[in-house]
Amino acid sequence: MRKDQTFENIIIRLKQYWQKKGCLLFEPYNSEVGAGTFNPATFIRILDKKPWNVCYVEISKRPRDGRYAENPLRFQQFYQLQVIMKPGPSDIQRIYLESLAHLGIKFKEHEIKFVEGDWDAPTLGAWGLGWEVWLDGIEITQFTYFQQAGGIDLSIIPVEITYGLERIAKVLQDVPSVFDLKWNNNLTWGDVYRQNEIEFSEYNFERADPEFLTSLFNKYEAEAKKVFNDGLVLPGYDYTIKCSNIFNLLEARGVISISERAKMIGRVRALANQAAELYLRKNSEKNEEESEEK
Amino acid sequence: MIDFLLEIGFEEFPPSLLKKTAEDLSVKVGKLLVDERIFYRSIRTIYTSRRFGALVLGLTRKQKPQIIEIHGPPKKLAFDNNGESTEMLRGFMKANNLEATQIFTKKIKEGEYACGKKEIAGVNTEDILCEEVPKIIKSLEFPKTMVWTKGGFRFPRPIRWIVALLDRKPLRFKLAGVKADRYSSPNQHFSFKPIRLEKPREYLILLRHGGVIADPNERRKIILKRIKKAAEKIEGKLLYTDEMIEEINSTVEYPEVVTGEFENQYLDLPDEVLMAVLKVQGDLIWVKGTNKFICIFNGKKKAVQNVKKGYTHVVAAKLYDAYYYYKNDLKQGLQSMLEQTKKMMWLKDLGSLYDKATRLNRLVEMFKTVPELDLDVLKRSAMLCKADLLSQMVREKDFTFLQGIMGGHYAEIGGEDKQVATAIKEHYLPKFIGDTMPKTKEGSVLSVVDKIDNVVGAFLSGHRPSGSYDPFGVRRNAYAVVNVLDTCSINILLFEVIDNLLKMYNKDFDKNIISEFFIERFTRYLQDKKFRYDEIKAVLATWKGDVTDARIRCEALKKLRGKPDFTKLVIGQKRVRNILKDIKRIGVVNEELLKEEAEKKLYKKGLETKSKIKELFQNCDYFKILNLLLAMRVDIDKFFDDVMVMCDDKTLRNNRLALVNYINSLFSQYADLSQIVIEGENQQE
Repeated sequence: MRKDQTFENIIIRLKQYWQKKGCLLFEPYNSEVGAGTFNPATFIRILDKKPWNVCYVEISKRPRDGRYAENPLRFQQFYQLQVIMKPGPSDIQRIYLESLAHLGIKFKEHEIKFVEGDWDAPTLGAWGLGWEVWLDGIEITQFTYFQQAGGIDLSIIPVEITYGLERIAKVLQDVPSVFDLKWNNNLTWGDVYRQNEIEFSEYNFERADPEFLTSLFNKYEAEAKKVFNDGLVLPGYDYTIKCSNIFNLLEARGVISISERAKMIGRVRALANQAAELYLRKNSEKNEEESEEK
Repeated sequence: MIDFLLEIGFEEFPPSLLKKTAEDLSVKVGKLLVDERIFYRSIRTIYTSRRFGALVLGLTRKQKPQIIEIHGPPKKLAFDNNGESTEMLRGFMKANNLEATQIFTKKIKEGEYACGKKEIAGVNTEDILCEEVPKIIKSLEFPKTMVWTKGGFRFPRPIRWIVALLDRKPLRFKLAGVKADRYSSPNQHFSFKPIRLEKPREYLILLRHGGVIADPNERRKIILKRIKKAAEKIEGKLLYTDEMIEEINSTVEYPEVVTGEFENQYLDLPDEVLMAVLKVQGDLIWVKGTNKFICIFNGKKKAVQNVKKGYTHVVAAKLYDAYYYYKNDLKQGLQSMLEQTKKMMWLKDLGSLYDKATRLNRLVEMFKTVPELDLDVLKRSAMLCKADLLSQMVREKDFTFLQGIMGGHYAEIGGEDKQVATAIKEHYLPKFIGDTMPKTKEGSVLSVVDKIDNVVGAFLSGHRPSGSYDPFGVRRNAYAVVNVLDTCSINILLFEVIDNLLKMYNKDFDKNIISEFFIERFTRYLQDKKFRYDEIKAVLATWKGDVTDARIRCEALKKLRGKPDFTKLVIGQKRVRNILKDIKRIGVVNEELLKEEAEKKLYKKGLETKSKIKELFQNCDYFKILNLLLAMRVDIDKFFDDVMVMCDDKTLRNNRLALVNYINSLFSQYADLSQIVIEGENQQE
């Protein structure tokens, strides 16, 4: 294994690799999200017919997965490297595999397995078919052909490749726990995030105030609706993302019953669907104007 | 003789669809060749996770020539009085390119016609395959498909290459944007360099060099050999099923093996949890009683150390989670989970999970007369059976399927009666057709009432299944109800259970809708048991709701329907039904009014039979009953032959109708035999 295989170098290498493949290098969204898919660079940009290739790190928050820093593979926050290629090239699987080789993974010495995994994000009205990619049994990537987003059948099928950066780094550095990952040559992942994991686990599971969160959810939802009515897609979608995060917090807190859960998911989805429809409506208007000008 | 290779290459196919699809494909290719009169010697199905196809050896280059007969004009119009061909016949010949020597006359159903016979030369096999193979691929059916490319072609996963090699030449066709060619793909752990194929016969060997065992049977053998070899060194029992091996076989191209292990403390977990963890982490096979598992992986032997490290690690992390849930659940205890079910809604407007448990707890009292059943055990298990839905373990999606099983463990460890634990464990069974059945009486009854409640609840909350809409699996539930009642021999009137349940809900709902739904599912069940539709219809026409009873009646009916007397009896019953059809009021038989010998005899026979079958009914000896009823046939026939039922004398007539009705009532205790379809009868009737 290469000596300079630090967490930050792995990120840099992957970004460089995808940059060479024609991806725009983007940055994380400025609000809490559960996955890179929520970033408008994915959810909004995959809706229309224009080609779109992008790569960015997303800081993904999964309150339910917190383990007070006690589980070597589960945390309430981790890094994803998100790649979208729209349309997906026909040799996309090989391009992906070569990105692993680019990181120094030798296929003859590992098992790389594409495990059937139908992906869906009920709060985004999105689903796709694809795989979890396992490296020696460890899930390192989700590989998905989107079929629908915001309840809309996509006209150009994008490929979404989402790397779990900590997990890949863990294999590459061959350490027993993600907390032992070398971030750079001086600091470990644990040095950077251990306290964060412990405190947020406690907050998410024990301290978060359900009433406060519920009222935030209601207010964000109302604001999103209002903003959509004013014809603004991205600010409205911004509040949709916030609702989704609040929902995740409430769920981790264990205060949502099954029926309430379904209802709240439905409410977030309704907002996401509205964002998608509004975006497509505005953009087709714009396209028409552009083509008229020509 | 030439050979043909078809290989469709894709990104990893869903394992559960692979074998079936591959087999469908080669069946369809084989059928095409037969239909098209192309001879072949052998056909072999190939599949791995990234390809499927067929290897066909020894084909003919062309179709076999075909002699066809074309019907022309009627003889009268084809030839004039002198026997010369008419304008019409000449037109026919011209249109079909026929010579005078190819014309002859032939008698067919409509009369005598002029016909032509000609030989059609066989088309090249190549042309037929070019035309038909893409159609075959398009005709494959899947439960779920996706789009990945322009044009909207649908398939379970993207098609990335197609090899269609007829002898040394690729077929010319394009599908989903992919052109058929001669290049296959190796195992990606070995190389990315495409494998160039000169001819079909070298396929298996060249693929093997590329790290692909393309023949699934050979691969399966290797897998089993490797598993057994690995297990030799471990003292314990290998736990695997054919389905698990097939699943593994569908996810690898080149199987290698490695043994991993986990910490001994996790052996405290119930076996089901350990097996679930090993399954979700990659179809790993547990050596029971030990902390070892066997992993079949796809790739090179060189990878063994890394693969072992990786799987050991994920198994440890998952077991850590499972153990964490398990310990928390035990700390909390089932009773406290039960309290929480009060806040967990079951179905919209139908109360909480706790309400459901309470309902089941009351409903099971109906079953107190079932032999060998402990009502206290049953009532307690009914109360507790849904509590584990609130456990951390069952709430985790990878372990949701352990519902019931976890409840059983938590009950037993929490100090409940062992029988209670077993009933809770068993009450979700059977989960699918062919699944294991509950073994205990309490488990069976709980399974039945829970599922009836699921069905009734779904109907009440507006989720009646129709077409493909059945979100709560109501059809499966209802089927399982009759299956358990029958298989576990629980004698209860299904309709009474439904009645009682509806009363508990206290909702205004037409119970016939639910009863009819159950009858429909029961019909399906009996059809699956190979009873004929008319037998089932006859028995269910007079059905009171006891499932096993109806099935035994069907059996007796099936056994007897071959007898010659039986057909006559059915004809008699149909006659009786017709006679009685429009009669509104029918009295009882007055013995003194019986004049004719035949009617006296029939009445006497009826009385005798009635007293004989009374006892037999109590013992459900339906075969004997049906035989006794059958024995009345001679007297019935004689009665209809000798006695005029619809005579002018009103008193006599009414008395005879009463006799017919009386005899009929003996039959309808058993079944409505008039429903039986007899050969030659118009089934529409």
